[in-house]
Amino acid sequence: MTRLGRLLRSHLVVAALGVVMIVLVLSSVNDFRAVQLTQMAYLGIAAGGLTILTGLNGQISLGHGALMAIGAYTTALLLQDDEPALPLLVILVVATAVTLAVGALIGIAAARLHGPYLAGATLALAVAVPGIALYFGDALGGEQGLRVRVPDAPGWVLDAAYFVTGQDLTPSKYVAYLGWFTLVVAYVALANLSRSRVGRRWRAVRDDDVAAEVAGIGLGRARVSAFVVSAAAAGAAGFVMATSVRLAAPSGFSLTLSLTLLTAVVLGGLGSLTGALVGAALLTFLPGVVTDAGVGAGLDDIRAAELAPLVYGVVMVAVILLAPSGLVGSLRSVWLRHRTTVKGETP
Amino acid sequence: MIEVRELSASYGAVHALRDVTFTAPTGEVTAVLGANGAGKTTLLRTITGLVRARSGSATYDGRELTRTAPELMPRLGIAHVPEGRGVITELTVEENLRLGGLGRGRGKAGAAQLERVYGLFPAVADRRTALAHTLSGGERQMLVLGRALMAEPDVLLLDEPSLGLAPRIVAQMFELVQSLVADEGLTVLLVEQNARSALSIAHRGVVLNLGRVVVDDRAEVLAGDDQLRHAYLGF
Amino acid sequence: MQQLVNTLLGGLTLGMVYAAFALALVMIWRSTRIVNFAQAPMAMVTTFIALRIIEAGHSYWLGFAAALLAGLLLGALVERVLVRPVEGKAEINAVILTLGLFIVLHALASVVFGNRYRSFPAAFGIRGMEVGDMTIALTGFGIFTILAVLAVMGLLVLLFRFTDLGLRMRASAYNQEVARLLGVRVGHMLTLGWALASLVGSLAGLLIAGGSLVHPGYMDAVVVYGFVAAVLGGLDSPAGAVVGGLLLGVSLSLVSGYVGSELVALAALAILMVVLLLRPQGLFAQARERRV
Repeated sequence: MTRLGRLLRSHLVVAALGVVMIVLVLSSVNDFRAVQLTQMAYLGIAAGGLTILTGLNGQISLGHGALMAIGAYTTALLLQDDEPALPLLVILVVATAVTLAVGALIGIAAARLHGPYLAGATLALAVAVPGIALYFGDALGGEQGLRVRVPDAPGWVLDAAYFVTGQDLTPSKYVAYLGWFTLVVAYVALANLSRSRVGRRWRAVRDDDVAAEVAGIGLGRARVSAFVVSAAAAGAAGFVMATSVRLAAPSGFSLTLSLTLLTAVVLGGLGSLTGALVGAALLTFLPGVVTDAGVGAGLDDIRAAELAPLVYGVVMVAVILLAPSGLVGSLRSVWLRHRTTVKGETP
Repeated sequence: MIEVRELSASYGAVHALRDVTFTAPTGEVTAVLGANGAGKTTLLRTITGLVRARSGSATYDGRELTRTAPELMPRLGIAHVPEGRGVITELTVEENLRLGGLGRGRGKAGAAQLERVYGLFPAVADRRTALAHTLSGGERQMLVLGRALMAEPDVLLLDEPSLGLAPRIVAQMFELVQSLVADEGLTVLLVEQNARSALSIAHRGVVLNLGRVVVDDRAEVLAGDDQLRHAYLGF
Repeated sequence: MQQLVNTLLGGLTLGMVYAAFALALVMIWRSTRIVNFAQAPMAMVTTFIALRIIEAGHSYWLGFAAALLAGLLLGALVERVLVRPVEGKAEINAVILTLGLFIVLHALASVVFGNRYRSFPAAFGIRGMEVGDMTIALTGFGIFTILAVLAVMGLLVLLFRFTDLGLRMRASAYNQEVARLLGVRVGHMLTLGWALASLVGSLAGLLIAGGSLVHPGYMDAVVVYGFVAAVLGGLDSPAGAVVGGLLLGVSLSLVSGYVGSELVALAALAILMVVLLLRPQGLFAQARERRV
């Protein structure tokens, strides 16, 4: 068996376990939690793409919120009628493809930039994109945004869900399954890519672009391909977000969203998909906890809602100052150190 | 007098200096010689605190230098002219010189020092308003020497001053260093790969090999020892 | 005709503010090779401090001075405590750090000052001047804006060109090691550089806020415009930042007046990309190449 085959198989085993977990968890939670978990899924998909770009390829993007907006608006435009013209999965593919195409354009420009220049340019992207929705208000719904009509789950899906879980599938759970299965597919693809020759090229370019170029790696191609892949993930995330929130509006894609994604990536440790998922989980569930604590401490609701970003920001700064490999990376290195010490002590 | 005692330093896992011990007497030129990578530059950088010493000491008239911040060196009367000359190319010639005069911490950088430096280096004086990046290699070397002299130092640490300069310029510069030592009692620690030129003005020579002192003797002795010259000094 | 004149005048005034903000970014870039994305919320926080003081019944000028002082202190604090550890490290760390600070200050301001839009007073009139039968959009506050930015720029030129302190600061920015060997306390100079830059950023924040509405996000777009202006000028050049700011102010004002205000940020993005791809060293660069 080839190395690649082994690798693919190990990723598929993890993915299969993931699917079982997803079914177990989603069938045991209520609709409110399912909606929350869908949020975790779309943040996780987008953060997964971003962690590939930033962690493996060394490019930073503050514009992934804007890319999600492209996926979400594409989805919304295709889901205007009660009876959609295309099946939902096809719409997912179209949303991903459109975002991928836009990502390729941005990536070609971005490939020539580094560090702060790239950050500044993508920051401008994040600030600029909501304006497009406002300017083309007739087509894109302006400030109010576009409503998204998610079609009912097909009969066979309902039957299959009932057969597996013994419950009726609610619309929220339908979308949650959709989101999480998208996440599994995206993560398997990203994990395989990052272990493949392409992924090695991305890392080589990140570590030393001069050496990589000497070794015959096309810098531009490596950077653009990393950007395209991560844009595609953002597009898929935008699809899940649109179907879950049932709305695509400029206020959903503020600068805050882009910075939040970066937080997830930094929290989890640059370049680790597990880290991205942990980051997404924190971003999903921390706000509730922190906001409740804030209200408990006597803040009004609006102010208490700002405590969550405050925590992210503080953690982000702390991670950079104290644990540059992120939470997952730091835990892993503590574990490795622990393991080597234990091993070292046994003669 | 600069006294270096069992000084060790390392870059990461690489031991750049191991137990280096020698003395640079006041009012003399001490040449530090050796091949590329012998630790000569690290020695100067450790003395002035740019590189942290792992152990040992370097003192100037009894004062410990290795644990003193580099920015305090001018106040102690020590001028370190780093490798590659260290002209601040974005500043004008005169601004480079003024900057040299600020370090001693004795109030205003005097116009007197400026005039003296311009007197020593007429070629630099002609370019005083030019941006330093327009200067030639020789002019830059004159500029950094002049800048070091602005602080009226007692000790001059020179790192590879002859690198990349025409022999005629090197001879002029070494002549000037020699006269400063003779006239003003300056103490000089001269790191050089160009051993022949360095020994021509040095009183003592210290040869480093892989971070260790292999020879420490009078300059005439070093220049006269054929075996040593072939083995370490390359002439 | 009247619209064109007013659009250009508005662009000029706004351009002065962008120039000041770009100047703040350039000062920090030159000394520490960091683009301080947190400059916007730093300025915002100091503007809210001014607003608090003014709302408490004190004079506009007391609030103004307090904001500038707060900017100075905040800049020094940020450099000393947060930025110092990442100086000289991988550039992505500094980028993420300033963005983290961006989020922190944003959230902190929302918690402390609230998330509402609030009106900020102007020191001078904000009505245009009547010339014949035209109303020219040059307001008293606009004139004050232009003069204030010019004054600050003049003072900075005096400081950097003609004082020993300025010489030390420039030396620290260009070559830290040589500056240290020449007796310059480089750390102090970097702290001072951040403090002054932050003060200039605060001034820009106050000038944008004057006679307008403020809320925690009101400077977010300005950091983009300031960055674009700074890149227009080459990011390394204070004079370039000023010219870049004016050019950008006028261009964006034209876009806003004739195309649509929603597309101003998109226009800034387009200008940025064109400059970065065609003339990465900036419009007014000296000979040297620049890696962007």
